Amino acid sequence: MAGFSELIKNFDKTRDYVRDFFIYGCKVRSDFDRKSIRTYGDEKRRVESWMGDCMRYDDSVRGRSVSISVDSGHIPENPLYNAYYSKSFTDNDIRLHFLITDILHDGKSRTLKEIVDVLNIDYEQLFDEQTVRNKLREYVDEGIIISKKQGKTLYYSLTSDNADSFLQDFKGIDDALKFFSETQQFGIIGNSIFKMLGLKNDLFFIKHNYIIHTLEDILLPEILTAMDEKRYVSFRTFSEKRRKKGDGIGTETQVVPMQLLVSVQTGRRYLAAYIPTLKRFSAFRLDYMKTVKKGGICENYDALKAKFDCNISHCFGVSFGMRREIGTVTQMKITLFVDEENEPYILDRLEREKRCCTLEKSGEHLYTLTADVFDPNELMHWAKTFIGRIVRIEGGADSVRDRFYSDIARMNRMYGGDENEHIQ
Amino acid sequence: MNIFSEIYGTYFRIAAKLLENELTNEKTVRETVQREGFRDSVLFLPQKLIPGSEDWGLFSRTPDGNLKRITKNPPVKVLTKLQKMWLKAKLSNPRIRLFMDDETLSVLAKRLADIPPLYRREQFRITDRFTNSDDFCNEQYIINFRTVLEAVKHRKIVYIEFVSGHGKRMSGKFVLLKMEYSPKNDKFRVYCYLLRNDRVKSSGIINIGRITNIVDTGRVFRTPVLIDDYFSSRKCSSPAVIRVTTARNGVERFMLEFASYEKHTVRNLETGEYTVELWYDQQDETELLIRLLSFGPVIEILGPQHLRQQAKLRIKRQAELLEKYGEKK
Repeated sequence: MAGFSELIKNFDKTRDYVRDFFIYGCKVRSDFDRKSIRTYGDEKRRVESWMGDCMRYDDSVRGRSVSISVDSGHIPENPLYNAYYSKSFTDNDIRLHFLITDILHDGKSRTLKEIVDVLNIDYEQLFDEQTVRNKLREYVDEGIIISKKQGKTLYYSLTSDNADSFLQDFKGIDDALKFFSETQQFGIIGNSIFKMLGLKNDLFFIKHNYIIHTLEDILLPEILTAMDEKRYVSFRTFSEKRRKKGDGIGTETQVVPMQLLVSVQTGRRYLAAYIPTLKRFSAFRLDYMKTVKKGGICENYDALKAKFDCNISHCFGVSFGMRREIGTVTQMKITLFVDEENEPYILDRLEREKRCCTLEKSGEHLYTLTADVFDPNELMHWAKTFIGRIVRIEGGADSVRDRFYSDIARMNRMYGGDENEHIQ
Repeated sequence: MNIFSEIYGTYFRIAAKLLENELTNEKTVRETVQREGFRDSVLFLPQKLIPGSEDWGLFSRTPDGNLKRITKNPPVKVLTKLQKMWLKAKLSNPRIRLFMDDETLSVLAKRLADIPPLYRREQFRITDRFTNSDDFCNEQYIINFRTVLEAVKHRKIVYIEFVSGHGKRMSGKFVLLKMEYSPKNDKFRVYCYLLRNDRVKSSGIINIGRITNIVDTGRVFRTPVLIDDYFSSRKCSSPAVIRVTTARNGVERFMLEFASYEKHTVRNLETGEYTVELWYDQQDETELLIRLLSFGPVIEILGPQHLRQQAKLRIKRQAELLEKYGEKK
């Protein structure tokens, strides 16, 4: 494995591998057919190196399978953050990082020439002006260095915002960092602050924790900026089917970004957006998305956003169905059996989980949920958590109701009802 | 500005740590890399730090064999613009008031006045969060939260009165171990041991929002407590065993939805089906059951027997309800 490095240039490629190890678990080398065996070996070794004790190995007739096995509710820190901490760099990058910040340590402003001279004379490090200028420009963008023009000359100084002083000046910020570092959005950035400060999260665990989401955070800044600037975004999507077929190109889509939709129960996050070519809203999974790029200004952004705000209230989850701009919605009614005297907690559950549905008592021990939704299937996935209580389903599509009745019949047989049916 | 940048990277961080002292030595370099690096970093990083043919030139060797940094000062720990934008965004999160008082927050807001937030809260929409979240703005809740937080930090013994999930009034002396937050419930809880005569009687978990009174007893629980022992005491004795079929994209949906669980998966080569073992906390068994049932016949609960039996009862009852109300097709 000559030339192996723990560090990476391309986050997208690693994102795919980490996701496959983490989500599916029992994949072996031959399942990763999209790249060479060498690539698989390098990626696997890298992930092993980052994840340490979280890796699990199982031997089967097909070979050794590798997975990331984590009870994410019982870990103090998201191990997938390590993927972000693995960016490769050049020798000059790290040398200039510590030297330039050392030169500017005293808080004084210096010109490019002065900095280059100090590097050459005091530190005996020879760098040409262009290399140093590029690094200074990069650090100005990062907010590490401030540049100010005096006459025709640019002067550089270090920002005064020091992490240690924040810790000292703002009581409680350390605990806040520990909490927000492990929660959405962008926990990785908080983690980078307290890593710099040498802190460790010794206070919080996160239940229902989808640690894989951090890998999608790489896409978000571009999308958020596009929303702020009312621009189009384009990206490529790679669905599971396409990935299995070894599709390395994906589908290019241009949309108007509206909102990021986060499910805290299914482990998925989406970009809700307007597709101009189809004249409809849709939601795109972030874990299937790559190479997001801002586009031009969308002139009718505000009008589209107003329509979106209206439409989203009819989504039980994220689906806008197959309708056009302001599509029709389907009314659906689900009646449940609840013994309110002995099972008040069921009513509590309905109240807290019903989202856009209304709930009303419709008979003795009967309660009816009503909602006008774009996609009745989404409502049914949740309704099935009430299996054992569903008395009646009205509205929605015939196919949705029929599927529910047939599912119950199949499950009844599967679990030893009238006859045994093992799932096919 | 990019989160994926070497300036936040592990190698830069280790180098910064070693540059804090004017002098260091090879042993410290290797130990620091071993402790702070990735598993294999010790194979790659020391030679970049220790003067030699491959090094970055950050240290020079002294006549006595030690390593001297080439910089004159310890590295600065400046906050980048991205980090400040993130902090600014968190200022509009109501949960931040649990940690910082209003005066401190106001000073922090002034300090970050020129920084745009990384995101606005309205740019995200959580689609399926429960609505009965904790009231993070309630002053009494904030006081209780901070008392709990201090007790966790210092292993203080506290007297707590609270209302249980079944509506019962409970009280007792507790040692508090860790806090838990659930984004699904939007609630904080605290893992604890109930004490009797200063000894651990049982493990438990208390919702911060259900605490009606909490008093610091002024005493500290000095017996060493391992959080892993606490988790073990609450873990299921045998995992849920689930067969997942390929129908309706079942494998992908299931694996993603249950990604937060510790699990072990085996694939059947002939059918493409997966058999998944899931380990769960006993108190979450009902939650697990209803989530499994929502997958319909795409999955089958194979074990343990009592979990399968619960599923069977609910399905049987469901079939009977449809029969009774004449809905069965």
